Amino acid sequence: MTDFEGLLQALVHAGVEFILIGGVAARAHGSARLTQDLDVVYARDSGNLERLVAALSPHAPYLRGAPPGLPFRFDAATVHRGLNFTLTTALGDIDLLGQITGGGSYTDLLPDTGELELFGVRCRCLDLDRLIAVKRAAGRPKDLEAIAELEALREERGS
Amino acid sequence: MNADQRLAGNGDDRDPVVEEYKKHIDRTLLRENLKRSPDERLRELVRLQRFAEEVARAGRRAFGR
Repeated sequence: MTDFEGLLQALVHAGVEFILIGGVAARAHGSARLTQDLDVVYARDSGNLERLVAALSPHAPYLRGAPPGLPFRFDAATVHRGLNFTLTTALGDIDLLGQITGGGSYTDLLPDTGELELFGVRCRCLDLDRLIAVKRAAGRPKDLEAIAELEALREERGS
Repeated sequence: MNADQRLAGNGDDRDPVVEEYKKHIDRTLLRENLKRSPDERLRELVRLQRFAEEVARAGRRAFGR
């Protein structure tokens, strides 16, 4: 089970710049769906990569689904070389996204975010309209039901 | 009507597939969630996760899988 509270607190306490997206963001907007992992878009400047590594390194990050024993090092150089990482950690699963389809980078998404207080820490979350837009852009059949629910939420808020 | 106008349709960007899914959404759950704060919604997610894990554990104990 993913410790959402622990992961969020680790990121925030390390000063990582990130935006919540995906199922946890949907849940924060009122979705009734369950989710298993934390999805965040992170800023790609070198200072933030260092903070991201400092936040997660104590929790044994490793490539999710990869065979054990690979020479994977979660350091700033690895994050700099890559872009999107699906990781498992001692606190649960987290997807670190440098860029997302239909949304772009952290900087591109920032104007469409709001600040939330979750588990005693403040963090940025993608707004509902942009969350719907990026899920639509991803074009995955598994997202259709989630998009329908998010659109229904938007309608309920407006009614 | 030119090609761009045809592509733009009638200005309605609703996806008929999503509209079909929307018919089956339980809006009573959404209305209840909207009464809560974002923090309360996340804490409820954690509570449901724990419940689901407990049900799975009980299932394994009962049926040995």
